[in-house]
Amino acid sequence: MSTVVKTVNLVKIYQDGAVPVPAVRGVDLQVEPGEFVAIMGPSGSGKSTLVHMLGGLDTRTSGEIWLDGKRVDTLSESAWALLRRKRIGFVFQFFNLVANMTVGDNVELPALLSGASPKVARERRESLLAALNLTDRAEAAPAQLSGGEQQRVALARALANEPSLLLADEPTGNLDSRNTRDVLRLLGEVHKEGQTIVMVTHDARVASLADRLVSLFDGEIVDDGRIARRRTRTAGEVIDLR
Amino acid sequence: MSASLAGSRWIRADLRARKGQAVLTVLTVAGIVAALITAATLLEDGTNPWRTLFAQTDGAHVWLHTKDSPQVALGGIDGVTQTVGPYRSAPVTVAQDGKKEPASLRAMPATPPQVAHPVVAEGRWLDPAQPDGAVVERSFAASLGLRIGASFTIIAISGERHTLYVRGIADSADQGFYPEWTPGLAYVLPIMLDRIEPMLGRSEWVTGLRLADPEASQVVSQRVVVMLEDRLQRVYTWREVRAAMELDNRLLGTLLALFGVVGLVAAALALANAAGGRVLGQLRDLATLKSMGFTRGQIALLLLVEHGALGLLGVAIGALAGWGVMAAMLGATSVAPIPVLAIVAGTALTVLAAVGVPALRGGRTPPIPDVPTAPPRGRLSRLARLALLVRLPPALVLGTRDAFTRRVPAFLTAFGLAVPMMMITIGLGVWATLDNFLAHPEQVGQHAGLYARPGKIEAAEAERLVRADKDVAAVYPGTDVNALAPGEARSVRVRAIGSSTQPYPFPVVEGREYGRQGEAVAGQGLLDLLGVRIGDRVRLTVGGTPLIVRIVGRTVEPEQDGEVLSVGLDSLAAKDSVPPEFYALALKPGADPSEVRGRLLAESKEGLDVQAAVNPADRLAIIRVVIVALIAVLTLIGLANLLTASALGLRDHAFDLAVLKAMGLTPRQVMATLVTGTGLLVVLGIGVGAAAGVSVVTGLIDLQGHTSGVGAGIGRAPSPLTVTVTVLVAVGTALAVALIPARRAARAQVPVTSR
Repeated sequence: MSTVVKTVNLVKIYQDGAVPVPAVRGVDLQVEPGEFVAIMGPSGSGKSTLVHMLGGLDTRTSGEIWLDGKRVDTLSESAWALLRRKRIGFVFQFFNLVANMTVGDNVELPALLSGASPKVARERRESLLAALNLTDRAEAAPAQLSGGEQQRVALARALANEPSLLLADEPTGNLDSRNTRDVLRLLGEVHKEGQTIVMVTHDARVASLADRLVSLFDGEIVDDGRIARRRTRTAGEVIDLR
Repeated sequence: MSASLAGSRWIRADLRARKGQAVLTVLTVAGIVAALITAATLLEDGTNPWRTLFAQTDGAHVWLHTKDSPQVALGGIDGVTQTVGPYRSAPVTVAQDGKKEPASLRAMPATPPQVAHPVVAEGRWLDPAQPDGAVVERSFAASLGLRIGASFTIIAISGERHTLYVRGIADSADQGFYPEWTPGLAYVLPIMLDRIEPMLGRSEWVTGLRLADPEASQVVSQRVVVMLEDRLQRVYTWREVRAAMELDNRLLGTLLALFGVVGLVAAALALANAAGGRVLGQLRDLATLKSMGFTRGQIALLLLVEHGALGLLGVAIGALAGWGVMAAMLGATSVAPIPVLAIVAGTALTVLAAVGVPALRGGRTPPIPDVPTAPPRGRLSRLARLALLVRLPPALVLGTRDAFTRRVPAFLTAFGLAVPMMMITIGLGVWATLDNFLAHPEQVGQHAGLYARPGKIEAAEAERLVRADKDVAAVYPGTDVNALAPGEARSVRVRAIGSSTQPYPFPVVEGREYGRQGEAVAGQGLLDLLGVRIGDRVRLTVGGTPLIVRIVGRTVEPEQDGEVLSVGLDSLAAKDSVPPEFYALALKPGADPSEVRGRLLAESKEGLDVQAAVNPADRLAIIRVVIVALIAVLTLIGLANLLTASALGLRDHAFDLAVLKAMGLTPRQVMATLVTGTGLLVVLGIGVGAAAGVSVVTGLIDLQGHTSGVGAGIGRAPSPLTVTVTVLVAVGTALAVALIPARRAARAQVPVTSR
């Protein structure tokens, strides 16, 4: 299997009035299939921008992005959208469920969008919700769910089309510790099943779940290393950063 | 299309979440479309019955009434293809249910002629086997309440009574509809007419000419005037018949069209505003959809379909409702398909254009859902600085600041309220004008409340009777005659009333009242018709006698499209003016016309024929219904705008709420802030709208008066009290509507990190 994601000297410069604000300054990153990469860094280090660029939500200023062996940074906005339907799943900090749709519809939406028949979409939704233990909440409105439940629904939605890459932007940033644990357990499970994940977090405990840690500082990678597999599930394994 | 399935899910969910707003949008558009279709039908229908009737009856283009059977070869005039008649016609009075209506009985053969043959709508045509049968023109029959087989009594000039039976009810394009066109028309066999009116001298002869070219009717009638000279009583062409048939609907149609077109603009604004506001409120959802793989075009299409579908549904419902109302009122064939289709297509395009812009903007939403979308800049407007300066409570200052943070929506909100408010004020102005007609009939030429005609009694006796009545303030003898105008293909009405010593108090709006023999006042319609101005001399011919008068003033003239010349009775030749045809009775203030009428009838032992003047406002009573309906639709539009504004206001403040509370504002103050933000725009919009309405309403009504011939000078602005109450009610309702969501928001526990 080829590399899932590869970036070459990726740069993003925002324009704030006349002042250019560099957010990402030449990032070279390569993610192999089945990897679980955590991207850490302080606020403003460019980690969200990087993930957004990987998913085509934001345009790059210069550099290259390769997805599944194909160069994608030159794609148009629409082409990116088509790509996202099948290849990329997103999980956001604030869940971003469509507020007016039921939980079930939220999960079905990506499947329908990628061209699955309503029947297939319904089957996929059933199995996903069952796997995430949400079957009985299928007809509820997102607002009726707890934060953890909402994030599990968002995860189900992101995984609906079995994307080759799951991008998670602070998936636990808005959750209490119990819900954080639930969501992380799920991420761990899908990762074990072979899902490639790139996750942004500033919580070291969350990052410790990954098998590779990339540290960003002022838009540049300052550290990139494998994490030794944990033996225990106890919290407190903190990776010290320079 | 895979996205269509997913998109339809989203649209359905979104519509479910805002049913009220969706229904409001549909109703608003439906109301406007219904108003437009009704307007178009009324305007079109004005000419339609004539066109249809003329074609059905193979009508004659020129009609002439002569004292005796015309002995000249009218058929020889260039352009005349066929002649019809002459038919003898006798003036009679129909007595039905205590009412007396003027009618003319026309003798027609048992076999209908080829040209100008009445089309029997019900029953049968005249039959020699039933000489007492009559065929009554449809509008006249409707006005009298006559059905097939009913009997009715006619009174000949001699006072003799005869009973006739309705054998048929027929449509005719020979003359306009009753009661706009009097006398009413009924056909009998010649043998019956001979029996009813044996005196040939009391009848006239009616001849119709069918022309090869309808446009030649002017030239042909000129020839007729020259050929027949003083034997000609009256001549009119198809244009007058057509104009008479469209009389009433036209004003209504114009009003509806005005409301409809302005309403459409307002509705388009409201729709754009609502769609735009909704899109702003959904930016996060739209971004989420994009992150899931919806393209820009698909999002725009999604929004266009969702908001456009609501508008199109409204168009469909409005078209059905408008068509239904018109079909029920005027018959299924009355609705012309082409204008309806044009309106449906036009409004549909307007709707799509109105929602297209916000849809495109929604499509351009950046796909990053987490970024809080463009928080409004908190620049302190001049108004807010002023509010701060005069030390208003903090909630008001904050509200004032909020009102204008988003300039475009603020403008749209104020404008979106101003337009309906302006139209409502105009509607109230029309209402006030009608009220003024009723309250001051003398201002529309109805100084006299009763008209007494000497029927069986002598004119002198009649005059003595009416002058003796205690409630009669003044008596003006008068006569209506038809006069031929030079260069015109038709007769005009000359109303001789009062005298140069005791002129009838016409409502003169320009120039002055007639004060001498040979002076006249005229309605706008007559001035336009003859192309003359105040100060000009006109030469007319009344029954062969020239009548030369100088027009010294313009009156408000609601009759005959304003095509009436009014002179003193002493300006007419004695043969036309003695004895007077009627006496116009001005009543003392507070006198009840029906009481006076009853008394006069009793005193004259039914010898007098006394009729109350018909106020033009009574004929226009339907306008009031229309105004109420339009105000309802306009209120809906305003409400739609308001809901959008308050929803948008709340959305912009989702962040602020927590901050405001953290700063120490009480829920009540938070609420006041939110309401002030919307309320300021509401007050501004409603105030500007009412002011604009008041300033244009008089001019608009006068313009309509001018074009309809009645003449300028009738328009009235709604009373200051009405305007004040309306503005207060509007602002009050608006604030109450804005208060509910504000209250809820102020009480809600808003997490700081909601977005």
